[in-house]
Amino acid sequence: MQSNSNRQITTIESAAVLVSTIIGVGVLPLPLFAVRAGDAGAPLVTLLGMLVGFVGLALIALLGMRFPNKNIIQYSEDIIGKWLAALGSICIIGFFAVLTSLTAREFGEVVVTSVLKETPLEVTVIVMLLLAAVSTRNNVITFSYIHLFYFPFLLLPAILIVALSLKNADLINLQPVWGNNPSHMLPGVLTVAALFQGSFVLTLVIPAMRNPKKAMKASLLGMLIAGGLYISIVIAAVGVFGAEEIKNLLWPTLELAKATSLPANILERLDAAFLAVWVTAVFTTLFSSYYLTLQALSTLSRLKDHNMLSFFLLPLVFIMAVMPQNIISMYEIIAFVGRIGLSLTIGYPALLFIIALIRGKRGDRSNGKQVEKAS
Amino acid sequence: MNSSDGTSGSNSTNSSNSTNSTNSTNSGNSSNSSNSSTSSTSNTNSTNSTSDGNAPNNRKRVVTEASTPVLEPTVNVDLTSNLENTIQAIKAVLMEDGDFIIRRFRVFGRYDAAVFYYSSMVDQAMINSSIVKPLMRPPGTFEGTSIEPDELYDALINQIIYHSDVHPEPSLSSIVEGLLRGNTTVIVDGLDEGLVISTSKIDKRAVDQPATEQVIRGPREGFIELLDTNISLIRYRLQTPELRINTIEVGRRSRSRVAICFMDGITNVDLVKEVKQRIAKIDIDAVLDSGYLEQFIEDNHYSPFPQVQYTERPDKVVANLLEGRVAILVNGSPLALVVPTVFSQFYQTAEDYTERFVMMSAVRLARLIALVFSLVFPSLYVSIISFNPELIPTEFAVAVAGGRSGVPFPAVIEVLIIEISMEVLREATIRLPQQIGGALSIVGVLVIGQAAVSAGFASPITVVIIAMTTIGSFATPAYNAALSLRLLRFPLIILAGVFGLYGVVIGLILIANHLLSLNSFGVPYLTPWVPGDLKGMKDLLIRGPLYRMGERPSFLYPEDKKRTGKDIVAKMDEEPYKVLDPVEVEKRRSQSDAKQQQPSDNDN
Amino acid sequence: MANRWRKPVKLAVVILMVFPFLAGCWDRLEIEDRAVVLGVSIDEAKKVTEEQEESEVIPNGPKTDMVHVAVQIALPGRIPLGPSDSGGGGGAGSQETLWVIDVIGHSIDDALMNLQQQISGRLFFGHLRVIVVSEKIARRGLENVNDFFRRNSEVRRMAWLLISKGNARKLMTAAPKLERVPTLYLMATLDEGIKMGKFPKDYIGIFWSNAVKKGQEGFLPYVELRKEDNVEISGLAIFKDKKMVGRTKALDIGAYMAIKGSNPAGYRVFVDLGGPKKNVMTSTTHRDEKTRISFKNGYPHFDVYMTIEINLEEKISDSVMISTTGTLKQVEETEKKMALKIYRDTIEMTQAQGADIFGFGELIRAKRPSYWNRKIRTKANWQEMYKEKATFDFHLTVKARRIGMRAK
Repeated sequence: MQSNSNRQITTIESAAVLVSTIIGVGVLPLPLFAVRAGDAGAPLVTLLGMLVGFVGLALIALLGMRFPNKNIIQYSEDIIGKWLAALGSICIIGFFAVLTSLTAREFGEVVVTSVLKETPLEVTVIVMLLLAAVSTRNNVITFSYIHLFYFPFLLLPAILIVALSLKNADLINLQPVWGNNPSHMLPGVLTVAALFQGSFVLTLVIPAMRNPKKAMKASLLGMLIAGGLYISIVIAAVGVFGAEEIKNLLWPTLELAKATSLPANILERLDAAFLAVWVTAVFTTLFSSYYLTLQALSTLSRLKDHNMLSFFLLPLVFIMAVMPQNIISMYEIIAFVGRIGLSLTIGYPALLFIIALIRGKRGDRSNGKQVEKAS
Repeated sequence: MNSSDGTSGSNSTNSSNSTNSTNSTNSGNSSNSSNSSTSSTSNTNSTNSTSDGNAPNNRKRVVTEASTPVLEPTVNVDLTSNLENTIQAIKAVLMEDGDFIIRRFRVFGRYDAAVFYYSSMVDQAMINSSIVKPLMRPPGTFEGTSIEPDELYDALINQIIYHSDVHPEPSLSSIVEGLLRGNTTVIVDGLDEGLVISTSKIDKRAVDQPATEQVIRGPREGFIELLDTNISLIRYRLQTPELRINTIEVGRRSRSRVAICFMDGITNVDLVKEVKQRIAKIDIDAVLDSGYLEQFIEDNHYSPFPQVQYTERPDKVVANLLEGRVAILVNGSPLALVVPTVFSQFYQTAEDYTERFVMMSAVRLARLIALVFSLVFPSLYVSIISFNPELIPTEFAVAVAGGRSGVPFPAVIEVLIIEISMEVLREATIRLPQQIGGALSIVGVLVIGQAAVSAGFASPITVVIIAMTTIGSFATPAYNAALSLRLLRFPLIILAGVFGLYGVVIGLILIANHLLSLNSFGVPYLTPWVPGDLKGMKDLLIRGPLYRMGERPSFLYPEDKKRTGKDIVAKMDEEPYKVLDPVEVEKRRSQSDAKQQQPSDNDN
Repeated sequence: MANRWRKPVKLAVVILMVFPFLAGCWDRLEIEDRAVVLGVSIDEAKKVTEEQEESEVIPNGPKTDMVHVAVQIALPGRIPLGPSDSGGGGGAGSQETLWVIDVIGHSIDDALMNLQQQISGRLFFGHLRVIVVSEKIARRGLENVNDFFRRNSEVRRMAWLLISKGNARKLMTAAPKLERVPTLYLMATLDEGIKMGKFPKDYIGIFWSNAVKKGQEGFLPYVELRKEDNVEISGLAIFKDKKMVGRTKALDIGAYMAIKGSNPAGYRVFVDLGGPKKNVMTSTTHRDEKTRISFKNGYPHFDVYMTIEINLEEKISDSVMISTTGTLKQVEETEKKMALKIYRDTIEMTQAQGADIFGFGELIRAKRPSYWNRKIRTKANWQEMYKEKATFDFHLTVKARRIGMRAK
């Protein structure tokens, strides 16, 4: 943990962190969420969701640029005072702990339903969680390296599936672009926006960025790539299956991979392979949210050794992950938590930002040392 | 305690304790010879290093801490002018080695003298003709004149000894050290300094083709064991005063010379400092190969991945020096170490740069695929066969099932068995004498593979997969990297047996995360891939044209960043002049005709 | 120094503690231990014999009609690895490479469970390529079939669902001589049909998608077994709400593909140039289609503009000379008339069933959403409207391009 004093994360690296955090297990049911809300207008729903998600991210970026040496736990103390901030921070920590557990659980469900049918769910969940926990032993620089490294492994399979399946797509399925029933869109937009919540991790990255002024550029870039991928996946899924069929599929993206075969039949169907590659995407998401939880917790509690914390928190997260009784209730919980999370990841930063504007608080460089200690 | 500045106090305390204890268990004469070398080592520290090391109190401290009590008085003594005393003293240290020779004679027929050397390490003819002979029969200019004792020293050094490398040594310890290096010492009665003349001649093999890094196109020279030869191989390739070669001695007993090569003005100064410091920390009794050093200076000792590159090609060392790396050579090892190292170096070869870039980019990609194959192929096979047979084409799946139907083991066990026997076979082939090694490997693969299949022990496809994997691992140019990937294959196979593709990816993520957290001298291991370096990417998966790679790798923070001329790219991209294009030829001819005609016109 | 190796030790401890929990090979199932199902046929269970009754695992099933399921399992040991010398395998080959087992049950899963009781290897549907359903079952409705195969994650969306005339099981036991594994031959028949333009892409996944669309109905290949154990695609089975409601002739497939404008094209027709033996044979090479929607009296009207390109392939006698553009024009005109009639017949037939397999409703939904939202909204409404109110006009342009290597 020696190189915290170095600010060496580049704009591209921070964008990569955002992209690989956002893209995760949520991609698998994404077309279903979008189609439920907007029928053929699913891509539009995704786009709107992305815009809502971007509002939250932009707030984080703005706050980060205002306090370039601090993360949200630290500058919230400056802005609204120690006790109120502690309350907010605890909410954030709790939310991301829950988010981590739900991500692990959701992916565990996917794996157990489609590939490893006999393997106990607990095993797949704990494997993913352990993988994330072991990796949280790294500092924020390595954290960004890890994300940058997996970045292409995440984009390539998704792009491949989209490209291969587009030849089976039918434009009719995508029309009209606003859907046949636009009035129902709002809840769907919020559900999709909830998938972008992981981008909150930017608050940890900014204090280590080489040039924190570029945080907005990075978040724009990250959002464009991730959102673009989301939209293209929704377009491909709706184009191939049609809106009505997607309503019959739990994980349309996986089904898309199943319907796709590599040219010349090297692999006849890509679902298992896609799922395998998607482990990396889920890992990066889990890693981010767990890392965020831990860092926030250790910042808040002024503990330096977050390795121990990591293994203390693990059982807790695991228990939360195995709590939902079945897959349907799991998705209900995910939707519910997503809504709460939206108010937290957009509302709280917005509140902070407004108060900071009113009170004229700014982070200055003399406080840099605190950041080092904490993160 | 071998540190050149002689300040590593605490270390030497520890080592002296251990040395003492071992010596006390030994008894009598038998242990003396080994003791002597130890003691002289300790002494070297003070005398051989910096000048302040010679300060008496400093020397005293080192000696009392690091040496054996028996020899201390003898070794720590300056020479007296009495020849007999000196001979006794040296004898006491070097005892009765069979190849140690003391030749007494008389200089100018007047002064008693003796020559000391190890007959096994010197050029005896040279001693005869250029040392002993002129001493016994001084050249004509001295005939008739008698040399007084006070002129003797001056005459010996300046007029009599025919040798360029002579230096007087006042202390017994440095004389002993010189003798052990293969130098010859002349001691003349009445002089309180011995003359150490370098006469070392150690048999060496010829400079040969590098055995493990052969190229089709490129230099054919490889390093040999002798450090000086190796340095000469580097120096004649880099005829510039910027090449710096610093030597340090490492190894309490072997006292191997370690040469640290770098380019002044290119290599990052702090990097050189850090390399020297890490080498200085090494405290071991013998360094028999550069591999010993590698294990001391690498950053993460537990990683399966090598963090130091070794090479036996001088041209590769030179190329690395010019990129801003530091090379480390050890006397006795034909392999030079190059630091810092990033992962991409392990699949690059010297040939990549000697052949044209388009072809070699393709070859490099193939090599990279082979590298990845050698890591994941068996585990992918296991997971597809045992977990996801729906991925492969139906016809093939049915056929594979047919091939496996007689095999009693699950695919994991089958693959593990064949993999392990392949490793055994490979190891056996290395150990076998060369003459039968080749035969056995072919016989082994063919016969055992065929037999295993027909015995229902393995399915033919498994054998094919393992064979491809093994061959793939040999396509990796760096043996140490191939070895680590081969090792990591096994946990991957087991993970594949438990979780299928999911497990393989989990394993790969673990490996990748480890790689990402590794660094070599602070350079992240996967540079320039992560962290991204667009300029470095020109030499990552492909090999860009040389003239476009105008900058040294930026992650090495070289002092001098550019390696090509300023507008080389523009010059190279210019449309070349088509000298022999018929149109051009015609044009030139008519021009010259016109020129010839012009003067004639003028004449008219 | 201690810090350096505390990390790996801790890691090792964690791994050691966790590994026992993880060290199980729950899902490892060797490929040869799987009963690789290549084909499934579903028939009506005619008579339930005593023995079959006994083999029922669940005694009191739901009160539905019983289904008779035959499953074709590859026998791993019998199919040689690599290209074998005997090539096609021969007529007797099928009995050896494949094993067809019959079982009955109240539903498909029930039947398969009964089957699982009888065989050692676990049934593996990852390589299920062909599902054959008899016409009777199809007319009864495919909800159960669809549901089971869609829910099962192993089944691929690229499998074929076929409707057979008569007994579906016969297709499982049929042993065409061309392929070592008969089911693969069946599959190849259809796949090649797509490449030759004889059949539209209609994998099970596409059928599912089409069948649930609001403005479209599904269709499936309708196959018949011929004498030589070969399979003929003899038309389209037309569905309405997951129930088969009718079938078409083989040539209607061409009509369907022309109306959809799908390529490649591959149907051949006789063109009668007037008079005995004045027939020439043409083959379609390229199709193009554009549909305009308009509303007449508040109901949708479709103008389908089609262009097909044809090549002349054969003539019956030399009484026709193909040497002038005039003759080709004549060929074009005649073919146009013929084709339009076929198209109209096809459309009328589907209209009679109220099954819009072409997806005209989808077209309205996509292009005229306001009308759709106002007037249609549901699948049932569209079925009604398609049957009663929708009108069609076909505009066909035929372009004869090439006449082969012969000059006249």
